[in-house]
Amino acid sequence: MNTYQYLLLMAVCVAITLPLEFVLHARVYRRLRLALMALIPTVIVFSIWDIVGIVRDHWTYNPRFVTGIHLGVMPLEELVFFIVVPLCGLLTYEAVGDVLGRVRRSPAASEPREAHDA
Amino acid sequence: MPEYTVLTVISVIAVVALELAWLRTGIFRQAQYWISMAIVFFFQIIIDGWLTKLSDPIVIYNPDEMLGVRAPWDIPIEDFGFGFSMVTLTLLIWVRVTRRDDSTRSAHKEAS
Repeated sequence: MNTYQYLLLMAVCVAITLPLEFVLHARVYRRLRLALMALIPTVIVFSIWDIVGIVRDHWTYNPRFVTGIHLGVMPLEELVFFIVVPLCGLLTYEAVGDVLGRVRRSPAASEPREAHDA
Repeated sequence: MPEYTVLTVISVIAVVALELAWLRTGIFRQAQYWISMAIVFFFQIIIDGWLTKLSDPIVIYNPDEMLGVRAPWDIPIEDFGFGFSMVTLTLLIWVRVTRRDDSTRSAHKEAS
């Protein structure tokens, strides 16, 4: 079970941000094509960075907490990380946009406050 | 200079330059962006804190390639630059492609 620790951590990220899609109308998963367009450059750039980091010995992965499945020199978990974390960022951004939009549209925000000196 | 530190600084400069010189989404002037980043950084501390904790690390850093400043908990300070670049790059492209998609849709609507 320990070797799944990194992947489980990523699953937790997916699970806790999932309500943003539905409760706060993030509509990221429902715009999958656009989400992929935003994610793919990030996945490529940061995978390259990760590979450089591994080859240049900037960091290594604890074999106790990863599955051992590799894509070249990069652990599978890192690819998952570069998809999941930016995805969580998109969901957060859209959810914040939804909340801000509602605050701005609410009557309290659009109507000037009545003076209380009357 | 430690290489991870150098790469992190370059990535932050590159992403900011990408926005200012090319994409020009205006994201850095949005409350929506900065509030989102504050939330992302809060959760980064939890997740990254777990990944980098020195007692049982998932990711093990080479001390020669980083500044050695680890906070909060044992998070290498460089990781925050890494996270900023990764999430900001994604948001920049997202804002760009979703806006283009919206304007195409409204153009279609007007035409029909």
